[in-house]
Amino acid sequence: MEPIDQQPVLLSSVDVSHRFPMPNGKMMTVLDNITMEIRKGEIICLIGPSGCGKSTYLRILAGLIPPTSGQVLARGKKVSGLTPGVAMVFQMFALFPWMTVSENIQSVLVPLALPKEEMQHRVSSVIKIVGLEGFEEAYPREISGGMKQRVGIARGLAVQPELLFMDEPFSAVDALTAESLRADLIDIWDEAEGQPASIVMVSHDIKEVVYMADRIVVFSANPGRIRTVVQNRLARPRDYRAPEFLAMVDYIHDVITQNELPDVPPPPVSTASQPIYEPLPPVSSSDVVSFVEYLDSHGGQGDVFVLAHEFGKEFSNLINIVKSAEMLDFIDTPKQRTVLTALGHRFANMDIDEQKIIWKQQLLTLSIFRTIYAEVQSSRNGIMLDDEVRERLAQLLPNENPEFTFDTLINWARFGNLLAFDEDSDEVSLQ
Amino acid sequence: MQETLENQSPETSVRGSRPRSSRPSPPVVFGQSGIAMAFYKSGALADIVIILGVLGIFYGIIQAGREWTGILRPTVLIDLSFRALPRYTLFSLIRGLAAYGISLLFTIIYGYWAAKDRLAEKLLVPILDILQSIPVLGFMPGVVLALVSLFPHSNVGLELAAVFMIFTGQAWNMTFSFYNSLKSVPQYLQEAGSIYRFNWWQRLTQIELPYSAVGLIWNSMMSMAGGWFFLMVTESFQLGNRDFRLPGIGSYMSVAVEKGNVPAMAGAVVAMIIMIVMLDQLLWRPLVVWAQKFRIEDTSQEESMQSWFLDLLRHSHMLRWIGNINAAVGRRFATMTSVLFQRAPRYMTGAASEAPNDTSPATHRRSFLSFVPRLLFILLVGVLAVALVQVVRLLATVRISEWLRLLRSDLLTLARVIVAVVLGTLWALPAGLRIGLSPRLSKIMQPIVQVAASFPAPMLFPAVILVLTKLNVRIGFGSIVLMLLGTQWYILFNVIAGAQAIPSDLKEAAASYHITARQRFWSLYLPAVFPYLVTGWVTATGGAWNASIVAELVTFRGQTLRAQGIGSIISEAAFGAKFGELAAAIFLMALTVVLINRFVWRPLYAIASTRYNISK
Repeated sequence: MEPIDQQPVLLSSVDVSHRFPMPNGKMMTVLDNITMEIRKGEIICLIGPSGCGKSTYLRILAGLIPPTSGQVLARGKKVSGLTPGVAMVFQMFALFPWMTVSENIQSVLVPLALPKEEMQHRVSSVIKIVGLEGFEEAYPREISGGMKQRVGIARGLAVQPELLFMDEPFSAVDALTAESLRADLIDIWDEAEGQPASIVMVSHDIKEVVYMADRIVVFSANPGRIRTVVQNRLARPRDYRAPEFLAMVDYIHDVITQNELPDVPPPPVSTASQPIYEPLPPVSSSDVVSFVEYLDSHGGQGDVFVLAHEFGKEFSNLINIVKSAEMLDFIDTPKQRTVLTALGHRFANMDIDEQKIIWKQQLLTLSIFRTIYAEVQSSRNGIMLDDEVRERLAQLLPNENPEFTFDTLINWARFGNLLAFDEDSDEVSLQ
Repeated sequence: MQETLENQSPETSVRGSRPRSSRPSPPVVFGQSGIAMAFYKSGALADIVIILGVLGIFYGIIQAGREWTGILRPTVLIDLSFRALPRYTLFSLIRGLAAYGISLLFTIIYGYWAAKDRLAEKLLVPILDILQSIPVLGFMPGVVLALVSLFPHSNVGLELAAVFMIFTGQAWNMTFSFYNSLKSVPQYLQEAGSIYRFNWWQRLTQIELPYSAVGLIWNSMMSMAGGWFFLMVTESFQLGNRDFRLPGIGSYMSVAVEKGNVPAMAGAVVAMIIMIVMLDQLLWRPLVVWAQKFRIEDTSQEESMQSWFLDLLRHSHMLRWIGNINAAVGRRFATMTSVLFQRAPRYMTGAASEAPNDTSPATHRRSFLSFVPRLLFILLVGVLAVALVQVVRLLATVRISEWLRLLRSDLLTLARVIVAVVLGTLWALPAGLRIGLSPRLSKIMQPIVQVAASFPAPMLFPAVILVLTKLNVRIGFGSIVLMLLGTQWYILFNVIAGAQAIPSDLKEAAASYHITARQRFWSLYLPAVFPYLVTGWVTATGGAWNASIVAELVTFRGQTLRAQGIGSIISEAAFGAKFGELAAAIFLMALTVVLINRFVWRPLYAIASTRYNISK
């Protein structure tokens, strides 16, 4: 086969940006100037922390959502409406629960106006390809998640698309099933003879990405940008335990953590000019506390990637927990390691009342908490309405969703006995 | 309201598929002889039942047709013998079903339009809300007079009026349910429909209608039950000395009361109950069980609902055959529409890269049929504007002093409604808890409560008034009893559903900490059933307002009993064709209903769905 960069470009995006208005009227940038191309005969994986807009980007490429600015080009021509040649496999399967397996597949063939025999032939052949024989008359609710996704894939293959889009297709099935689905998908693609010619897959699982992709596009969040594109030339079939495979996993992992947990600390808060306000990751205080305690009881340090597995959290979620613990000075993150600080160690071994005192003290090192705390204190009767606080958060952190920030702020402040929030009267007050 | 109604559906896991043969064959029970079972299983019995059913429907249509085109009589002639009762029941049933058919058609068209047309939605949804709040019974005399004068020589006008009135009692909540379902189709299903280029027909029949089915069927059941109320009122309608009664179960009852024929009254009540039970067993229950296949959640529930009639039908060869034809025709039609309205999508771009881009079905439709919704919208705005001008003109004729009198009456009726709901709650809340918390009692009582809730209260008015006059109760208070008669069941019904939904771990926790009955009521049962109670209250107040129109002004053995209130004013104004007063009174009542919805029920709903939501 010719090298991939000499293959024709099937689909590309030029300066695609996506913004949407937030409740406070400001615009939130989800995707910022994404330019990328998909060539014939490659598997591209998009990976990045949650909230980086990778799923939105996939939908823009598919023509389901129009971008705020920029263009999607199919073989060089601007796409309006749905992108031609695309079939899609969904995270939550998107099967019609009231149709049997074969009816589900048949339903997407109806718009093609095929002759009856051709339709039946296609249904039975894709059922065979994905290994669903015997399940033709089953309803989706009767089969397992892995089987459901096989139906999703069969449905995509049935229309004989040029491009197969997959939106976190294996994140709703267990790890073992996901592994066999991935292997089967690669086999299917090998034998598909250009239908689909290329696969674009969104994922948050680094191992999955390294296993599947020819090219790995790493996104960064807030706003969503392409951080880097990694060529993955590992020979197929790939082995999850091969040293080269693990090296690639480590490499991708470094790229992501480098970006999300930079070794160079942000510039110190300058007293002269405006303070810098820290975005609050959407993490509950109890997650942070139990993470610090977990780390303390497991040697005081660990690799983020390994911890994600052990701690039973999704990687992108753990990144947020780690970020939070680092903001509060409980841990430090040199490279991809997380190391408990002296404070973190003390914190982990305190009883809950002492923990709350330290927590409060650490919260007040963050300018966002200091500011809101001071404003509640100086407001009339020491009370602010929740919408006033949201409004302030939107001003202080214009790129963040004030709803989420508010929820995290209240959650953290409640644990530290810093602020109280009465849901009935909508009042935020001092504890 | 729709979600809460859906909550009431007993959890089931029955599928639309044929019963699996993997189950061990049941032992032959005494009385189930082998031949009879074989006959049942072969499907021959089912086919015979279907043929008989079709013949029965034809017979009904012919009978109804003869009755409809019959000459308009000055007074209704009702044969009070029991032999005539089935025929009258059939007439009433046909009116109810005809109205339901129209309601369903209206629901699908109106709901679809409101959900799909962003511009029209802004008008259509508030209109529906207003229609729901207007006491339509106030229009009955006008509708009857207008339609009778349109068809002066036959019964068609009267029949149409009856069907129309029942329709107004059925359509609104069904439409809301369908509209809400259309708006809440999960995003991933919509995206799957888009990415695979479903056209509007395929979307409607394969995504939107199936998704709406469960809610629509539950609301249809409620609507049908509510419709009987209007049926009773219209069938026994007399205006001054003019008799507009239609042969049916309602007029049978009213003549029986006039004549003081107690056996006939009892016969009518029994016939009504039989009709309600038959409809439940032969129509609604099979539909509900069948609709289980349209449920979105994957969860399998412990208790499954059964329908013997559906099981019987599933053995039918004839139905399977019709089903296959139907599916084939549906596919053909979908293909046809996709060829007509859009080019077949291509999934390969390589072969014809110079061909123009494939666009979404939506843009195709827009170019092809865009003028139709626009035209309809303009028409709608025009009709509304004319209607508004007319109403304002009518209202302008009402003097200030008149308004004040109306307002006083309105407040009086409001007080009655509140008292009726409070009284209903006082007995239905403890009773509902008692029934709902005991699985054994639920099993016995729930079908009875369901029938009672469907039973049209106006049918019992004469009997109740008889008792009230014997007890020397004035109609001002008596009308509260009449309102209560129909509306208390909604509260009971909902409380039972709520009590059944209390998670057993909470009950066990309460028991294991030896919490007293009183504390258990205040800190567990009441908060847990609160969302259901609110739903019950909303339905009950709605019913009470409507009932006030017939409860505050009753004719009993030639004598008119009148209670001061907005309901009696609406009735009198309607009878006397005083349109200004009628419009003002209806306006006031509708306004009261809307204000209460906004300032009482909506906040209560908000609290119920956040603080007292047990599933969160």
